[in-house]
Amino acid sequence: MALIRVEHLDKSFPSRHGTISIMQDISFEVKDSDFVAIVGPSGCGKSTLLRLIQGLDRPTAGRILFRGQPVDGVARQMAMVFQSFALYPWLTVSQNVAFGLEALGWSPERIAPQVEKYIDVTGLDGFQEAFPRELSGGMRQRVGLARALAVEPSVLLMDEPFSALDALTAESLRDEILQLWQDPALPPDAVILVTHNIEEAIELADRVLVLSRRPGHILAEIPIELPRPRDRKSSAFYDMTDRVYSLITEGRPTTGAEPAGEGAERAGQML
Amino acid sequence: MPTAYPKASPTEMIGLLVLLNSHKGSEDVALLADDLDLEIDEIFPALEFAEVLKLVTVHDGRATFTDLGKRFVAASIRDRKEVVRDQLLRTTLFKTLMRALDGAPDHTLSDEQLHQIVSLTTAPADALVQNIVNWGRYAELFRYDAADQRLIARPRPSSRASSTNRPPPTGGLSGGGSGGSGRATSSTPRSTISQTATASERLAAA
Repeated sequence: MALIRVEHLDKSFPSRHGTISIMQDISFEVKDSDFVAIVGPSGCGKSTLLRLIQGLDRPTAGRILFRGQPVDGVARQMAMVFQSFALYPWLTVSQNVAFGLEALGWSPERIAPQVEKYIDVTGLDGFQEAFPRELSGGMRQRVGLARALAVEPSVLLMDEPFSALDALTAESLRDEILQLWQDPALPPDAVILVTHNIEEAIELADRVLVLSRRPGHILAEIPIELPRPRDRKSSAFYDMTDRVYSLITEGRPTTGAEPAGEGAERAGQML
Repeated sequence: MPTAYPKASPTEMIGLLVLLNSHKGSEDVALLADDLDLEIDEIFPALEFAEVLKLVTVHDGRATFTDLGKRFVAASIRDRKEVVRDQLLRTTLFKTLMRALDGAPDHTLSDEQLHQIVSLTTAPADALVQNIVNWGRYAELFRYDAADQRLIARPRPSSRASSTNRPPPTGGLSGGGSGGSGRATSSTPRSTISQTATASERLAAA
């Protein structure tokens, strides 16, 4: 059984100028041990899609199944890492990491070792009593990650987790995310990453879902079978990047290999 | 080795080393910067810090991993921290800082004392001092009380590898290299922990 099944999802918002359709007929599956990246131009509904999957928002039509059960209300088996970190400035690192566990009603005796564990695995040891304002962006996002992992979610949702970070910091966090993901002793069972950075998607994911401009629909689902760690300078990587870039800029679904074009020249740029 | 302490966070330095690793461990500094669409001076601080920790050497505008640097980038998140700790403790600045902390009556240093010690080796500008504090916290060498602006000694971990609350290495934090799909289960552990040597020596000997 699929871990997550998204079935014929539509989302639209009423506006003064009539109904605005954000996405149309989105269907896909996420299996155990899947690392799925969703890429697409801004405004294609990527972030909305993540919110729908977690049950933070409701679709206009269609449904989401988690292990066969419809998601209605916030799914506790999922946790989100946000672009903006979304930390509480008045709480210490430890307290921020504990926050989700407290919300789930864990007892203080169980919370303390759990918080220690996830502070340790994310490399935050030494910063337990620091407040977010004392931390660099990279350390702040580690807190966001530790908080999400601490609830031991089945599915980790990441919404542009590296795009508020400087380039070097993002490079290091991508490397660490892969390390954590490759540790079978740690959650989650699956990751869904939303990003507008094509190279990032191809570097990290097992599969890339390419969304069109609004209203977002799936243009292609591309398996990335390159061995990890992936060499961004290899021709296979380059071809893959080129293909995704062409799909998005041309905005139409294609089959088979794309002819190499000038797209890859610009593919590393933000869409 | 540069004697100044540039303003770069641990995360930025690790990012630079990951980047250098993707260039097979040796690359022209200008090309490294170019790869991330950065100006060359934007990667200097991280590069210089990697030099301070002896993870990288720079000659004629080309950055190259030392043996330790090579092993650092292949190590797990936790083992990287230990290497940073060992290497920081070999620098004059951190040696001095730790000696002062150990010798202080209540094992704390005021903001003023901290600035004084930092000024012995580098410009004691607030941002640079804060950066030094950040490295010491990352390496778990001391605590910092932001409200009182005090540095506080913490129990010295002789070696985390020998402490009892650390699970034995499982090989779980593996170095990847398996196929594109799924999670690695069988590849070699990122690093092997022995019980005696410092992390740097262990990685250097591996």
